[in-house]
Formats: sequence, C-alpha cells, structure tokens
Amino acid sequence: MLKDYSRFAIDGIKNRKLRSWLTMIGIIIGITAVVSLIGIGQGLKVAISSQFGDIGTDKLTVMASGGMGPPGTGVVNPLTKDNVKKIGDVNDVKVAAGRLARSIKIEYNDNVKFGMAASIAEGNGRKLIESALNLEAEKGRLLRDGDTKKIVLGSNLGSENAGFEKQIYVGSKVLVQDERFEVVGILKKTGSFAVDSLVFIQEDDLRKMLGISDDEYDIIVAQVHPNADIKAVQENIEKVMRKERGVKKGEEDFTVQTPQAILAQVNSTLFAVQLFVYIIAVISIVVGGIGIMNTMFTSVLERTKEIGIMKSIGAKNSTIFTLFFIESGMIGSVGGIIGAVMGVSIAKGLAFIGSMLLGSELIRADISIWLVIGSVVGSFLLGSIFGIIPAIRASRLNPVEALRHTK
Amino acid sequence: MIEDLIKYITTNIKHRFTRSFLTILSILIGIMAIFVLISFGEGLRNYMEVMGEEMGTDKLMVMPKGMELPGSGGVYLTKDDLDFIKKQRGVSEATAMILKQSEVRIDKRKLGKWVFIAGMPTDPSERRFVEEAFAGYGIFKGRALKKGDKNKAVLGYNYMVADKVFSKPLNLGDNIFINGKSFDIVGFYEEIGNPQDDSNVYLTNDAMKELFDVGDEYGYIYIRADKGVVPTELADKLKEKLRNKKGQKEGQEDFYIMSFEQLMETFSTVLLVLNSILVIIAGISVLVAAVNIMNTMYTAVLERTKEIGIMKAIGAKNSTILFMFFFESGMLGLIGGGIGMLLGYGLAKLGAVIIAFTGYSFLKPYFPWWLIVGCLVFSFMVGAASGFFPARAASRLKPVDALRYE
Repeated sequence: MLKDYSRFAIDGIKNRKLRSWLTMIGIIIGITAVVSLIGIGQGLKVAISSQFGDIGTDKLTVMASGGMGPPGTGVVNPLTKDNVKKIGDVNDVKVAAGRLARSIKIEYNDNVKFGMAASIAEGNGRKLIESALNLEAEKGRLLRDGDTKKIVLGSNLGSENAGFEKQIYVGSKVLVQDERFEVVGILKKTGSFAVDSLVFIQEDDLRKMLGISDDEYDIIVAQVHPNADIKAVQENIEKVMRKERGVKKGEEDFTVQTPQAILAQVNSTLFAVQLFVYIIAVISIVVGGIGIMNTMFTSVLERTKEIGIMKSIGAKNSTIFTLFFIESGMIGSVGGIIGAVMGVSIAKGLAFIGSMLLGSELIRADISIWLVIGSVVGSFLLGSIFGIIPAIRASRLNPVEALRHTK
Repeated sequence: MIEDLIKYITTNIKHRFTRSFLTILSILIGIMAIFVLISFGEGLRNYMEVMGEEMGTDKLMVMPKGMELPGSGGVYLTKDDLDFIKKQRGVSEATAMILKQSEVRIDKRKLGKWVFIAGMPTDPSERRFVEEAFAGYGIFKGRALKKGDKNKAVLGYNYMVADKVFSKPLNLGDNIFINGKSFDIVGFYEEIGNPQDDSNVYLTNDAMKELFDVGDEYGYIYIRADKGVVPTELADKLKEKLRNKKGQKEGQEDFYIMSFEQLMETFSTVLLVLNSILVIIAGISVLVAAVNIMNTMYTAVLERTKEIGIMKAIGAKNSTILFMFFFESGMLGLIGGGIGMLLGYGLAKLGAVIIAFTGYSFLKPYFPWWLIVGCLVFSFMVGAASGFFPARAASRLKPVDALRYE
C-alpha cells in the first residue's frame, strides 16, 4: 500500500520535473543556509567555550563585584589576604589562593606591547593556580618559591610572531613596566587565548612594580575536595564572605562562581545573537515552504480529473489526502537531504578559508549529527505541513465535478 | 497597449488567485526583512552623522593603550602630557577627564549600582568643551559643576527615571554615596540615548582625585584643533610629538590619538558590516522567492500554451509574448515588494518602540527615499529576472504545436 503511495508521489514528481526541481531548489537553498550558519555558529560557540575551559570543574572563583571590564577595575572593596585565609578554612575547601591580574607594558627588542600580567602565589597556592589555569612549561620551567625578577610567558608571547620582531626564548631579558625580568619558562598552549597571552610573575614582584597594597587581591581561586558538593561549598563560602565583609544576604559586593556559571553567562549572550541570525535565516526556509504549497496546489489542479477517476472507482478521501501529503513531504525531504549535504560542505569550506585567512584555529565549523538529522526531518515536516492544505483540498474534491474538469 | 497588458496580467493574477497570492507572499517576506534591517542600519548611520556634527569635527581624543578600559592598569595619561599637548601648534584647547568605575549607593547601607564616574573640569569653558565632546549634551535640570563643588554631583538622565538605575527616581538635592562619601545632586544631564552614558555620575576632577586617591592620571584627553587645521593631520602630528616627548618609537606608543571623525568611522564601520551580513542572510530568502516566481511563471506558461498559440496565430510577435510574461512576473515582484515594504515599515516602528524600552533610544529606523524606491525597483527586477526564462520559453513556442496542446 505504502509502496503504491510512494510510486504515485515519485511519478508525480518525475512527470513535472522542472517544477519539482525548482520547488526543491527553494528548500535546498534555505536548508543549506541554515545548516551552514548553525554549523559555523556552533563552531564559534565551542571555540569560545574552550576559552573558559581552563578553570576545571572542582574550582570556584571569588571576585569582588565591579561593573564590566577586567577583574580589579574600579573595585572599591577589594578582596583581602584575610578573605583568602577564611575561604581556605571553609569545610571541603582543599586550598585557596589569591591572584592579581593587571594590565602592563612589555618591551623586548625595542618593541612595546601591552598585555595582562597574572600573579603566581607563593607556597601552596602556586600549585592551585597552575592547575586552575592548566599551566605547563613547554620550554624552561614554571616559577618557583624564591624567584625574583623572573617571569614565565604564555605560549603566544613566546611564539615567533608575538610581535617583537624577534622570538623570546628562555633566558631572554624582557622589560616589564620598564623593569628588567628574566624569562625562565615558556608555557604550553592551553587553548585559551587569554591565558596564552599572559605574563606570569611572582606576586611580590607584581605588587612592588605596580604599587599594589600588600593586602589586596583581584581573584580568589578555591579548590574543592573531590567528593564534595560544589554547590554546598559555594554557599558556605558566600556565608563566610558575607560575615567577613559585613554585608547581608542579597546585598553581596562579591561573587562566588563555578566555572559552569561563568560559561553559562557567556553562552546566554552568544545565544541571543545566534538566535537572531537563525531567525533571519529560517525566513528563507519558510519561503521555500510557501513554494512547496504553491507547487502542490498546482499539482492538485492539474490532476483534478485523475482524482475524480480515483474517487469514482472507490478511493476514500483519506487515501487521496495521503497521496498528496506524501508527495509534498517527499519534495521537502529530498530538498532537505541535498540542502544538508551542501550546507555541511559550505560550512566546512568557509571555516577552512576563514582559518587560513585569519590564521586562527578559533574559526571552525562544528556540525553535529543531530543538526543533519534535524534538518532532514525538519524539511520533511516542512514539506508535509505546507502540503496539508493542498492535500485537504484534493481530498474534498467532488468526484462528479472533478471528472468533468478540463484544463 | 500597456493598458491591455496590465488588464491581461491582472486578470491572470486574479484567475490563479491562490498561486499568485503565495508567490507574492514569498517575495514579500524577504523584502520586508531587508527593508527593516536596512532602515535600522540607515538610522544608525544617520545618528552617527548627527552626533558627529554635534561633537564637532574639530576634536581629537587621546587614550592610553593597554586594556581598552580606562583605569584598569598601569598606563595613564598625565598632567605633563596634557600641558605638553596644550602647547602644541594647531591645538586650540585641551582638557582631560578622569574616568573610574565605582558603586553608587542611594542608601549608605544598601547595595548600589556599578557605573562610570567621570571627573569634570570646573573651568566653565573647559567644562563646556567636555560636554560638547559628549555629543553636545547640556544640563537638563539644575546646574553644572563649578569650582569648589567638592561634595556635589551631576547625574546622567537615567537617574531621574524610576527603574532605570535605581527603583526610585532621584531629584535635585538628594544624596548619593560613592565609596562611603556623600554627594549632593545639583544637576542632571540631558538624555544621550544609551544606557551606559545616561547612567554616568559626574564629579569635579578635584573630588575624583580625593575620592579615588589618584593623582593626575587621566583616562582621556580631549583636544580641539585650531580653525583651519585638519584634525586627522593634527592627530598624526601630535602622535609624533607626544611619542618623541615620551621617548617612544614609532608603533610603540602607549597611547592612541584619533580625531573624532576617525573614531566615529571605526565604530560605525563595525556596526554597518554586521548589518550588511544580516541583510545578505535575509537576501537568501529573496533568492528562494525568485525561484518560486520562476516556478509560478513556468506553470503559467504551461497552462496558457494554447492561449499563446492563438495569440501567435493571429499575429503576436515573439517579442510581444516575451514582454508579456516578463512584465507579469515583474508585477508579481513589485506587488510583493510594495506590500512587504508597508509591513516592514510597521515592523520597524514596532521594533523601535521595543528597543527604546530597553534604553537604546538612539537606535531608530530611518527611511530615506532611496530605500523605498530601491526596494520597489529591486523587487520588480527580481520578479522580472526570475520570469526571464519562462518568458523566453513562452515566446519560442511554435504556434502550431501550441494550438494543438491539450
């Protein structure tokens, strides 16, 4: 039975080759656009997420709240050494360490660049910060207790095209805020653009250099015991910090965030932008759907006599409906399959060209199997939905009048 | 002739009402989307132009490099830099602004909001100069800051409106607290139209220095060029002079210096590029609509084969038939474009209301005449172009075959 239905649909499509093709081209263009845009958008999202993947899931970050901008900007009530100690004492917190992150001037080979410096704590905190940021030495070593006037550079700064016209090696002397520092290590790439461009410096050195008071921190990182409930620890830290800073619940002048929370924030902004682009792209699919509806109306009109004959030899209304419904669904899904294939290739192609032109690994297409399946199923549904009204019209034709119909 | 043609076309469009309606609907949607997007893009460009005029094209700005947010690091502009710039040839006047982020409270014990606090010069002409640099916005209510106003503040427009910055609107004479210090409100600025600038708090430069314990570390220096001096050229010259004074080499300056014109250009270029990308994506739907029109026209040719045969038999030329179908498909496009534009106009107006509600009242759609004419011409062209192949097929039909067609 189903076989007969399909044959009817295929014959219908074949007999009107030109029209079927044009209808399908509409769907193909729409699906191609949407698949390639979503693919590239997803790829960007994954790339941006990876920028935040450096924190690890067992770690919490505490920041004094400020407006926008990098940590420490205009914070009136900065985090303190005492805060670090108190957070370290919270149940299930393994270790806590304070960090500073400030913008600085770097000079090498008479070339000046501006970037961010991050402090590395002495003692126990060192390991925590290193693991929180995934720091591993590619060349040389990481900072040790007792180092002074020594720095470690993120992989971007130690690369050939860091913008100093001469590569920085382990042992090179670099001017930071006009003070001479020895580079003792260059880090492995972490994949996070921010971390890979950092200058790592002993906490005391950074304080002295920028005149930061002894007590002040920009960020506190806390590592939670492996089996502890991270949410509960977060609440405990919030409680301790409220008491420390003398603020009431709901009026905190600080934030305690899990890495997921930070990521979720970024994702929601990104999502809004993506959504807008997708909505505009989906318009073309809707237009394609209207094309299907049009073609199906024409097809019903042309086959009026045929329908009359079928009905007069006993075809039920539901049979006629199914015949046309399947035909329009088929146009949709064939268009969808071709569109999905083209969309995938265009997304991959564009991402390839983009990454070649900009030399960045950030631009890539991320196409999940669900996107492909979804677009094919979606275009089948689209075809069927826009085919419903023409199919209903066909099924309700009066057999006597239909038989009498001439072109 | 044309009259006959139009009659013929309207009859046909009416005759196949459903099909014509769907075809028109498909082009309408795309034209509507493009119309809305471009009208907002033009609105933005327009705003930029007006703002540029109000700010004056004779101004330049110096910013420290490093983090592009003022006040976040070790790089500042100093009083020394300001004095040096003032002395240069071509500089009519120069003034500096301290900019910090901080929390503003209306109840000393309750949490407030994080906003930008800007230091204003108290010398009236210098102050007016900074105000001009902020797009010429003046005092809306109360008065501006003057010398000795250590505990006084002037606020942005949004503080007067409930639920914009604080839930209750503030008034002249009310107090605000920054870093635990109390300030009397003596004035409010006019609305600038974006939520950041309208939430600024203005103190005197002296009050800023005391409050944030900073010296003469400036976030911005504003410069006005002498009459007859080209600001962009002055920017290059000053860049070189300031670089030499600071002992820096070319390309290694720790500051940016740009004319307002360049600044606005950079900003609007980014936005307009984004806008064009959206227009191109919306254009895809017009492409799909074009395919639909082509389809409709092929069907029309097929259905009217016999008719074409008769017309040819009684003497219609190929070119007449070509033109007939060509024109019909153009009309389909034109009608779709016209309706799409009307709907787009409504949609853009509605969008503007929603956007204004979120605080970005500067983002308004603008409908220049060329956009309206352009949309109509474009939609007619799309229709006509997609009808070309069907029309050619119709014109090349052999009259004998066509007459025989069942």
